Amino acid sequence: MSCSDDKIYICRCEEVTREDIEKAIADGATTLAGIKKRTHAGMGLCQGRTCSKLITRILAEHGIKPADVYPQTSRPPVRTAKIGDFVEEDDV
Amino acid sequence: MNKKADVLVIGGGVIGTSIAYYLAKQKKKVILVERYDHAAGASGSCDQMIIMQSKNPGVHLQYALASAEMYKTLSQELDYDIGYHKEGGMILIETSEEMEVMEDFVARQKEIGLQVEILTRKEAAKHQRGLAEHLVGATYSPQDAHIDPMKLNLGFAYAAKKLGVEILLNTEVTGIIQQGNKVTGVETNQGTILAPLVINAAGAWAPLIGQMVGLELPIKPRRGQIAVSEPVAPYVKGDVLSARYIVAKYNPDILEKSDDRAVQLGVGLALSQTEKGNILIGATREFVGYDLGNTREGIKEVLKNATRLVPGLKKMNFIRVMSGVRPYTPDGLPLVGFVKGLEGFFMAAGHEGDGLALAPVTGKMVADIIEEGKTFMDVSAIDPNRFNL
Repeated sequence: MSCSDDKIYICRCEEVTREDIEKAIADGATTLAGIKKRTHAGMGLCQGRTCSKLITRILAEHGIKPADVYPQTSRPPVRTAKIGDFVEEDDV
Repeated sequence: MNKKADVLVIGGGVIGTSIAYYLAKQKKKVILVERYDHAAGASGSCDQMIIMQSKNPGVHLQYALASAEMYKTLSQELDYDIGYHKEGGMILIETSEEMEVMEDFVARQKEIGLQVEILTRKEAAKHQRGLAEHLVGATYSPQDAHIDPMKLNLGFAYAAKKLGVEILLNTEVTGIIQQGNKVTGVETNQGTILAPLVINAAGAWAPLIGQMVGLELPIKPRRGQIAVSEPVAPYVKGDVLSARYIVAKYNPDILEKSDDRAVQLGVGLALSQTEKGNILIGATREFVGYDLGNTREGIKEVLKNATRLVPGLKKMNFIRVMSGVRPYTPDGLPLVGFVKGLEGFFMAAGHEGDGLALAPVTGKMVADIIEEGKTFMDVSAIDPNRFNL
């Protein structure tokens, strides 16, 4: 892997690079949640919709079968939602 | 795998890693086992507050103040940035009844040595923008702070490892080895670890470890649901709570009798903003066993409560909700100390929502008690034997 590959952004929202992900794995992370808590990858606006596949692949390169990588806990909202709309929807 | 240690710590959250770090400073050979990963339980699903004002005036507040002192230099000590910011905090007061309760609370906190005062709504508005018009005032303390809980957890773990602590992740305790009334080690899914001292720092899951040695621990999982906003420009200064949160925390009985859903769900405001700009909006306090899910109702009540107190939040977007269980105890204090009649078994769990605030002082006190048989504070109030185990 060349030096520039290391600096590729895996999570664009939180600007987490491949190098950051590799460090988290070296630190003992074996799951998407473990990598997220060490790097913030998947914590941004898109909530891991792009990077979780890329991270699963990186984990596979370290011997963890993609089938064994649990998806992130699925939590609302599906898309970014305005707080005011959500709390007032009953009143409409 | 067969391993040996002086001390075995169960639990890789902020409490377990803090204990491992302070024990290693005392030159103990420590092994820490964690079922999943650091920050996998409450330490990774909480807000970020090191808040003094929410603590009961008494030993509870004294422990928190001792911890607050340690936090000032903890990043330097651990040689790791834990994201410490001391920006003060306030508790918003909505009614004259709440004002009465808070006046008494504040007076007693002052006696313990907390810098805290009651502000009018106008004065409060100078500290925090966007406050609702109906507020009758707020308490304010400059001593409240916050940290990044995941960084705190990892910071303790890395510093412990540097001192020789062996941390075994993905290692689940399946049994406790006993010889008569003496604990001599643990069985895990990765093999046996022998140690003459086993510390139960499993947080909300501590009762399950307790059951392995026949203890009925009074710790119960209590769920907190939190919403997370998109990153925004600095908006929430320090930590912002509501007086209703204090009521929810210390008077669960009153809440059970209410027919207001928000009250039944234990909803109280807990508002703070991260370094990246996300606003954490909490929280419920619900007894639902180990259910880590979010509910639409819970989040709605949390956001309704928050926007009633700080209407400016309505214009913002939320991107995520989270949920975790905290280790509740009946008297609001953790269980820290040796268990009588069971040699070599030490409790360090039950901090509920105060795990962050009390993590450093808990680690230090536990290491002191184990090394010297005493510590710098009176620990009789948190002695696990106060309950009939």
